[in-house]
Amino acid sequence: MDYFILLTVSGISIGVIYGLIGMGYALIFKATSVVNFAQGEVMMLISYMAFSIASSWSLPFWSLLGVCVVLSGVVGLLIERIFIRPMLGQDVFSTVMVTIGMAVMIRAVVVLIWGADPMVLPTDIGDSGVEFGMVFLYTAQIYAIGFLAVCVFGMWAFLRFSRMGVAMRATAARETTALLMGINVTRVYALAWAIAAVIAGVSGVLLGTIYGLGPDMWTQGLRAFPAVILGGLDSVFGAAISGILIGVLENLSEGYIGHGLKEISGFLVILVVLMIRPYGLFGTPEIERV
Amino acid sequence: MRTGVIQESYGELISLFRNPTQTYWTWALVIMSLAAPVVLTGHVTSLINGMMIAAIGVIGLNLLTGTTGLISFGQAGFLAVGGYTAAILSADYSMPLWLCVPAGGLMAAAFGLLVGIPSLRLKGLYLAITTLAFTIIITHLILSAESITHGSSGISTAKPAIFGMELATDKSFYYLVLAVLVLAILGSANIKRSRVGRAFLAIREQDIAARAMGVPVARYKLYAFVVSSFYAGIAGALMAYQIRFVNVDSFSLVISIEAVSMIIVGGLGSTAGAVIGVVFVLGLAEILNYVFSSMGGAMGSISALELKGFIYGLTIVLFLRFEPDGLMGIYREYKNRWVNWPFRY
Repeated sequence: MDYFILLTVSGISIGVIYGLIGMGYALIFKATSVVNFAQGEVMMLISYMAFSIASSWSLPFWSLLGVCVVLSGVVGLLIERIFIRPMLGQDVFSTVMVTIGMAVMIRAVVVLIWGADPMVLPTDIGDSGVEFGMVFLYTAQIYAIGFLAVCVFGMWAFLRFSRMGVAMRATAARETTALLMGINVTRVYALAWAIAAVIAGVSGVLLGTIYGLGPDMWTQGLRAFPAVILGGLDSVFGAAISGILIGVLENLSEGYIGHGLKEISGFLVILVVLMIRPYGLFGTPEIERV
Repeated sequence: MRTGVIQESYGELISLFRNPTQTYWTWALVIMSLAAPVVLTGHVTSLINGMMIAAIGVIGLNLLTGTTGLISFGQAGFLAVGGYTAAILSADYSMPLWLCVPAGGLMAAAFGLLVGIPSLRLKGLYLAITTLAFTIIITHLILSAESITHGSSGISTAKPAIFGMELATDKSFYYLVLAVLVLAILGSANIKRSRVGRAFLAIREQDIAARAMGVPVARYKLYAFVVSSFYAGIAGALMAYQIRFVNVDSFSLVISIEAVSMIIVGGLGSTAGAVIGVVFVLGLAEILNYVFSSMGGAMGSISALELKGFIYGLTIVLFLRFEPDGLMGIYREYKNRWVNWPFRY
């Protein structure tokens, strides 16, 4: 039983990161119907930027996080302006390939600037943590869980009550009609990219604090794919929930069934789930008319 | 002024060559490729071998993604299946090459059928991510099934030999690969001009409409998957023979993405485009290699590698931004301008 709890808790703590990255995927897909393959790379970029800031100014953790939120918002806006906006009107697949090209470029830039060696993100919450019975959690892991909760609640409130959030839902429902109703669709797109980048940035800082920085950090973005597919590509909350589900499942399968299953159990699950529910657990089925 | 080519019957519409000029040029190209190894150095020949092998796989992907419109990031997985099947058969069971290569293709085709089944209900990006999952799962399976695949240590294949004749040098291997490539191109061209190819196109444009018009969508989607993975399997098997070694590292997800970028750079849906895309992307990599190595120690090996990655990413982005129809699109545009000069088309 202890083993089970241990696996579950550590699964939740990694699943939270999947959930956060997945929320970024889902938000962008919901607003613009494009999957941003560079989400993991954006996360990596921001956490390396956080490294540079933290090592030159030694800010306290919360101010560092604040700086990174602003920084990642700017990065998100820049990406949208430089790479994505020119692709408006092209088919979705082309835009997706642009995000893949962008991902390759960001990976290269990160290694060119910061080098390929693994590094530690120097923050003042570094190794501190709390022990719950026999489970030990780093402070950053607890913050990550808290941040996911804040994000889920914040996104819900944003989409439900704010003017911009309603505009985003309208754009997601039908772009042309939204445009005709006077919604500034390009601004909605830009906002979606900015919010996704902020979520990625904060999760990057947390991930860097927990596991350190390395040039393979972007693979977390790949590993978060099962989460967003399981939840349904256009369901922001589905991504958060199934992120945790996938994280726990990965750990349990690794612990009870066999070594190495951690890497693929999420992908195996989505293959099965997609056969039964092609739009994931919470995704909206697309109704096609010919 | 030339009036262009006018096709007057259905037979002419679907013929392999549009007009005599095209026929002559094709034969000229064939003769040139037959003569090429005589003039080229060993290094260039081996580079061309690599390009031709990649082209076989990419032509297959083009049938699936370009012609049928099913986006797949699974090509590396099929390549791995083909490569490993050929390597295991040749190294552990000492089978001859003429059995191993088709066996690699057939094995990959069987896996293609397996991956194709979920594709019947999935569309667009959901399908893309599912095929991506396949690549990741297959690499993992290869690593864990150590008793068959030798796990992470990889397999060394036997020297390529066909009907008792050893293809020891790059130049003799060249003719084998060239023959397979010609067959691959012919196969792809023939599929495209047949009933099946027209069904593929109908599915790409609108699969529900295709179904309404009586195209059995499920069967043809599976067919596209099987054919495309067969091509990839053949390419994988040849790759195993060329490098004489297989390892999961040579079949990473990056290969899938490269394959998709090649058909985009070349021009989606066109067989010639697929070949040109391969030549462009691999050629660019080779030229960058040359440039960076001639700069010598001025740049560390890591930064040269990363710069290459950066330029590669930038190429994809720029192509999609400015030339969505790829190199074939540029070619068509210039051809039209030339033919219609001095008039605007």
